Amino acid sequence: MKLRRTINAGLTYFAVILALLLSFFPIAYLLITSFKPPELTFAIPPVWAFNPTLQNYADVFAGGTFTRYFLNSLTIALVTTSVALLFGTFAGYGFARFQFRGTTWMRLGSLVPQMLPPITIIVPLYVLFNSFRLIDTLWALIVSYLTFSIPLSIWMMTSFFADVPRELEESAMIDGCTRLGALIRVSLPIVAPGLAATAILSFIYCWNEFLYAVILTGRDARTLPVTITSYMTNKAILWGRIAASGSLVLVPVLAFALLAQRYLVRGLSRGAIKG
Amino acid sequence: MDWIEGGTSAVQAVPGAVAWRRFFKRAEPALYIGPAFLVIAIILVYPLGYSLWLSFHEWTLRGFRQGVPWVGLENYRSLLASPEFLNSLRITFTFVISAITIEFILGMGLALLLHHDLRGKGLIRSIILLPMMCTNVVIGLTWRLLLNYEFGLINYYLSQLGIDRVEWLSKPAVAMPAVILVDVWNTTSFVALLLLAGLQSLPDEPFEAARIDGASSWQLFIYITLPLLRQTILIALLWRLIDTFRIFDVVYLLTAGGPARATETVSIYIYRYGFQSFNLGFASAASYLMILIMLVLAALLARAIGRIQE
Repeated sequence: MKLRRTINAGLTYFAVILALLLSFFPIAYLLITSFKPPELTFAIPPVWAFNPTLQNYADVFAGGTFTRYFLNSLTIALVTTSVALLFGTFAGYGFARFQFRGTTWMRLGSLVPQMLPPITIIVPLYVLFNSFRLIDTLWALIVSYLTFSIPLSIWMMTSFFADVPRELEESAMIDGCTRLGALIRVSLPIVAPGLAATAILSFIYCWNEFLYAVILTGRDARTLPVTITSYMTNKAILWGRIAASGSLVLVPVLAFALLAQRYLVRGLSRGAIKG
Repeated sequence: MDWIEGGTSAVQAVPGAVAWRRFFKRAEPALYIGPAFLVIAIILVYPLGYSLWLSFHEWTLRGFRQGVPWVGLENYRSLLASPEFLNSLRITFTFVISAITIEFILGMGLALLLHHDLRGKGLIRSIILLPMMCTNVVIGLTWRLLLNYEFGLINYYLSQLGIDRVEWLSKPAVAMPAVILVDVWNTTSFVALLLLAGLQSLPDEPFEAARIDGASSWQLFIYITLPLLRQTILIALLWRLIDTFRIFDVVYLLTAGGPARATETVSIYIYRYGFQSFNLGFASAASYLMILIMLVLAALLARAIGRIQE
């Protein structure tokens, strides 16, 4: 009996470690490749022991445009996230606190914009932004990204607000607070970690987005994912630079994900449990 | 009748105030929920309307300066008769169904594993979470390098094991499995973490009762865990359906829909008509069909979710 339990535990840990390796390996491979001297990128058999070099990173930063596109990505993600949080917080609160006919349907309905495949609305969006002369500006992407970041924020914030006991707000309201006052002074501080997790998830979605960015921007408002693909030229695919710029794009995402892991999962899944 | 009249007179007695308060009480949810819906509606109403208009017109790069003639349902008719479009639908559904099936089987396994009381739980979950957070462009390119025929690590290690190298991305028969593999790597963790959260929220009592009755762990899983997890499973399924159905960037960077359209999903198909041959009427009709299919599937799932909740 005891032996069997030890074997079981051993198998469990073995499987978990296998899953961890599989999850992390491609990312590690990208990071390692980014520090490889360019001539070793394609070495077969693969070379794992080499003198790390910053050559690829220097190549990426040469010319100065990378920094600019980095700032573009950052600005777009931050502005979109702030706007989405503002609207998403109130809507999420509304869904968590008020029961009316068709709450469930409306909640699921708030996911409809998320269901529209970007490719299906991008032609008319292009025409629309073009007539406002917004093509290749940060605004075009900020507006487009709201179509998915607001629904996402609503979904996450609903589940976080649903966890805050109603009574806390009610007692504040008896003490003379308006509902809005109770929301801001009582509930908001409690859901702060959830708010942060929502912000991080929305930021990551904007930061990672590719299709809108590649079509709605040109030289000026380009974002990082598009910049990475620009290293695939007609002549050659510059893998060293792709690895270096790819690593630079991933690092903030991974740091955020590690930081907010617990709340991210809870926010996404609580909706799944409580509805 | 009395109380109705009483009600009216009360309103008249304090003009506005009571009516206003009553109105406010009913409208309060709308004040919180409304603005978000309004913003989204403002952004989407024009694109959706214009797209619908386009889908009934002939708009080509060569002809649009001479006018955009109304063609009625012609775009839709020729789409449904087009083997290429039907192919892209078939490809999309093959991808959606296989990827989601594999992800749920692996995801459920992983969730059950992580449900054990493991050492370093937080760290394990964080690392498992990483693939789903990665930038799709980076994922696509990294895997393109890993799957490269000559220089890719995967072929290298396969050949070390005595297995022939595979032309992952340029042979029609294996290109789709390769794309599915990358998506499975990318999102199994998402499914696993959602299911794990579901598992952790289940009550203990039914499990204890069944165990006392002598149920095996397999029976526990089939007859208790799965039914109780139904809601979580359906919501995870909804999220995955939305994401797989629209898949674009990973496929675009891995294979760009090739070889020989073996991985040309509907999104890639529309991209080709909209942004390479600029046949916008046709692309819009395809878009509307895609939206329609998505909404029907989502509504079916949503109805199932709603039923459980009531």
